[in-house]
Amino acid sequence: MKVTYNWLKEFVDFDLAPAALGDLLTMLGLEVEGVEQVGGGLDEVVVARVVAKAQHPNADKLSLCKVDTGSQILDIVCGAQNFKQGDTVALAQIGAVLPGDFKIKRSKIRGEESCGMLCSEKELALADESAGIMVLPPELKLGTPLFDALGLKDTIFEIGLTPNRADCLSVIGIAREIAAKLGTPLKMPAVAVPQGMEPASKHVGVTVHDPAGCPRYAARYISGCSIAPSPAWLVNRLQAVGVRSINNVVDITNLVMMELGHPLHAFDYRQVAGGQIVVRKAAEGERFTTLDGQERVLTADDVVICDTERAVALAGIMGGLNSEIKDDTCTILLESAFFDPPTIRRTSKRLGLHTESSHRFERGADIGMVPLALDRAASLMAELAGGTVAAGWVDAYPAPRQPVSIRFRPQRCNEMIGIELSAERMAELFRNLAFMVATNADGSLQVEIPTWRVDIEREIDLIEEICRLNGFDQVPATMPLAAVISDRPSRHQQLQRLVRDHFVAEGMNEIVTFSFIGPDGVDKLGLAGDDPRRGGIRLCNPLAEEQSVMRTTLLPGLFETAARNMSFRTLDLRLFEMRRIYVPQAAASMPAEPIWAAGLISGPRFSEAWCQQPAVVDFFDAKAILENLFEKLCLDDIRWSDEQPELYYHPGKACRILCGDRLLGTLGELHPAVQARFNLERPAYCFELDFEALVALSGSRRTMVPPSRYPDSVRDMAVLVPLELPAERLCSCIRELRLKELEHLSIFDLYQGDTIPTGYKSVALRLRYRSIERTLTDDEVSVLHQKVLNTMVKKLGVALR
Amino acid sequence: MREQLEQMRQQVVAAIAAATTEEVLNEIRVRYLGRKGELTGLMKGLGALPPEERPKVGQLVNVVKDELEGAIDAALTTTRDAATAQRLATERIDVTLPGRRRRQGSKHPVTLVVEEVSEIFAGLGFSVAEGPEIEHDWYNFEALNFPPEHPARDMQDTFFVENELLLRTHTSPVQIRTMLKQKPPVRIIAPGTVYRCDSDATHSPMFHQIEGLMVDSKVSFADLKGILTIFTNQLFGQKTGVRLRPSFFPFTEPSAEVDIACVICGGSGCRVCKQTGWLEILGAGMVDPEVFRHVGYDPETISGFAFGMGIERIAMLKYGISDMRLLFENDIRFLKQF
Repeated sequence: MKVTYNWLKEFVDFDLAPAALGDLLTMLGLEVEGVEQVGGGLDEVVVARVVAKAQHPNADKLSLCKVDTGSQILDIVCGAQNFKQGDTVALAQIGAVLPGDFKIKRSKIRGEESCGMLCSEKELALADESAGIMVLPPELKLGTPLFDALGLKDTIFEIGLTPNRADCLSVIGIAREIAAKLGTPLKMPAVAVPQGMEPASKHVGVTVHDPAGCPRYAARYISGCSIAPSPAWLVNRLQAVGVRSINNVVDITNLVMMELGHPLHAFDYRQVAGGQIVVRKAAEGERFTTLDGQERVLTADDVVICDTERAVALAGIMGGLNSEIKDDTCTILLESAFFDPPTIRRTSKRLGLHTESSHRFERGADIGMVPLALDRAASLMAELAGGTVAAGWVDAYPAPRQPVSIRFRPQRCNEMIGIELSAERMAELFRNLAFMVATNADGSLQVEIPTWRVDIEREIDLIEEICRLNGFDQVPATMPLAAVISDRPSRHQQLQRLVRDHFVAEGMNEIVTFSFIGPDGVDKLGLAGDDPRRGGIRLCNPLAEEQSVMRTTLLPGLFETAARNMSFRTLDLRLFEMRRIYVPQAAASMPAEPIWAAGLISGPRFSEAWCQQPAVVDFFDAKAILENLFEKLCLDDIRWSDEQPELYYHPGKACRILCGDRLLGTLGELHPAVQARFNLERPAYCFELDFEALVALSGSRRTMVPPSRYPDSVRDMAVLVPLELPAERLCSCIRELRLKELEHLSIFDLYQGDTIPTGYKSVALRLRYRSIERTLTDDEVSVLHQKVLNTMVKKLGVALR
Repeated sequence: MREQLEQMRQQVVAAIAAATTEEVLNEIRVRYLGRKGELTGLMKGLGALPPEERPKVGQLVNVVKDELEGAIDAALTTTRDAATAQRLATERIDVTLPGRRRRQGSKHPVTLVVEEVSEIFAGLGFSVAEGPEIEHDWYNFEALNFPPEHPARDMQDTFFVENELLLRTHTSPVQIRTMLKQKPPVRIIAPGTVYRCDSDATHSPMFHQIEGLMVDSKVSFADLKGILTIFTNQLFGQKTGVRLRPSFFPFTEPSAEVDIACVICGGSGCRVCKQTGWLEILGAGMVDPEVFRHVGYDPETISGFAFGMGIERIAMLKYGISDMRLLFENDIRFLKQF
């Protein structure tokens, strides 16, 4: 909503500079989002008089002028012919910069000096075209800046109105707010309609078949109009608030809408059959062409304005092509009506037709403004279009609106806001807003709300008005008195933080990708046709196809992020994302939104450095990240199973991660085909974890095992085992012995090669023995070590190498 | 014997003085003081002395032995120190070479802000609540006093899913879910992901909010101002100016936009604050009685305030991020800086 400083001044007196006015509006809840100066920067263009005009000696089409600026006489060369000695003109003096960055300099034109330029309207951007220079009214004072002299200097405020403030969609609405805040009166425009003898009712009839959709419909009849371009002041004024000029009659309806907030419509009376207006619901499927030339298909929910034969306007939204004002229109039927907001909104939304008119009606126009708007427009049509206004008006208003009256408790207001205003002060604030106030027997106030404040229906709305008008800055900052609540973060919340912290500690960067992905994401993963992850929830109105499905897996976003980074030559990648996925549930249930974590590593194991041997990450770097995590979460019973890994992994370098029987996630090298489909330049290792399962299975802190104070004894052994035997079997076989003296077990070497029989591998184990009670002797350790070996030989068929 | 002893003493003292290495000193110790050493040999000669002489000479031998042991130890220490000093003098590294660093990870700025804001409110007794992102129209709009066909719905361009489900446009439905689950008093914040169909340099179709709600028997608008002042001072520094100005949200009345004094220019006016000196960081207000009615609370006996802020907005201000899209491009060169 745009409004100008000068226009507001016509409705309310205030002694505030534009910047201060802007602040006042913002603090009233009418947020000034932009301020634009018009007519600024052209102070070097002044009013001047041509005191002498002679032929240029060296050019037929040029004249030499002497121009009086009030303080000096300047020589000016001019090419225009449309002026004479004695005319008042607009002179751009040396130093002026005209629109289009045109600088005025001292110059010689065909040998004659020129100290400035006489300007046309076009050169000053006051008109699109102009013939010759501007000839000004003679009474203007010489030397005054032109825009000051013409009253063209103004400040335009762009106000971001909240949808509740329909009453402020007009100059008068905003002026009313200023008046209320300053406690000064609003200057309502005095409207005197010069009326003819014939009553309007002789020419116009109104029948409303849908009083719910159209509670009020008023009309005037104006004959003898001449349609012409609007005068400059009207064009400029509309232009300042963003409305394009059409012709005098249409411009008047727009001016009144901007000024009083009430949309009007002017019909060409010739096209309104019988001069009869019929307001009814549209027929289902009825076709109607609006004045933008679009044919619209209507429904029985829409309201149309008709004559005796056909529709002539889509109520409150747009007129019909069939009855618009034409150049030869001379008789006008002027509509000022009130339409039901939800009805207008439904129709406007369904048709995708949003107009200045629908914008106001759907938010709630002022039903009480109907007559004034009608009269203001009619008087302007008489004045600017030479029309004769018939006497009186037709007004179909079967059920006049009863004013809303609300009981208001000053004490409750003070408690709610935390201020201490007297009831008298509150009553005064209400009166400033033009609300009627009476005092009830119990001390509460009874407040009657004017018709323009459609947003005020309840006591709380009045409390807000008091708070707003008294000033939000007058509210103190206090601390609430409240009971102590003890509420730690839930385990779910604590673990989210723990897991994130863990990945960060592992050197990974957290990413956040969109929850919606392209439908091809699951194809690129190569998921089986019946994989449930293909059934992601689709949006009805996505912004783009690649953001149209709620993800069922984090991987596509992870891979796309990795690919984008690789394309920028960031090849050292350790990414993770820990967020929700969206899993459809059986009909009628809300989708599940479990949190998953996914990670990807690729590139060098260490940052490139003088002190590090270059190495590239592999499966076991990724696995280590998870092993550390599981240890932190006290998840002991983890199995890494190479059965049925996902199709998007390398079949020989992937596993499922199980805890007991529950699947925690998967881990593996990305399948080369998937890597290619996601345009990943380098191999990558990734994992997915079901965070909800982690939370369910994670244990509590283990009890401490005291460290032994006796020396250890370390023994190694290398065993030959069949290639396909998982190393984990060796370890679990040893662990099952439950030797309390075995403090630590590690696999420190793995070897396949010349000295090893085909089909076998050599696994080197290091065992550290230590007792909590005493120093073990060599013999005791040997006995234990032999027992370990014997068990493996017996259970797994290994051979000591 | 005494002379022998004195001779040996002098001999050893001279040898120690001449010795320059640890090895030589150890040899001296073995040669003279060891089990088969010369001084020990001399001790064996004690038996040949008259009985009355033996204790005296024995004592003397011990004195000499102790003296020599001490001299060797002292010399050893000196020699070792010298050797160490010499080794240290030759060993030199270039300390300006970079260290062998482990890769540092990072949290996403959105996470950092959520954690920081949650901590501040945890200190004020607010716990964290959550709710679904794919939400029912009733929770997202209707219970929050957005009637169907209401123009206020235009303020939030909505992504729809079938069956009256939609992607929540704000975290406010968590207010409703929380109040339906528990009786007052309520003190929660609800961080979460929200969605609106809008995309440009300052709007992302997915972004994050933190909702706050406090309901108790006598909570006022002034209390809201107090809590938000504390919060903004903790987040942006003490004495950050806070300004509330009237606004409109269907689920609060009165409603306010909350501005802080521009953290870039300190309030004098700059590009970031569009020359106003103020930055809008959150929306707030007193819970509308209609909302209380929807959740079965009695607006005559309790009151409450709610607020909501955009996490990206705060992250952008805190870290000087100019374009919101950077937050979702996940460029490592960007993420590493946090």
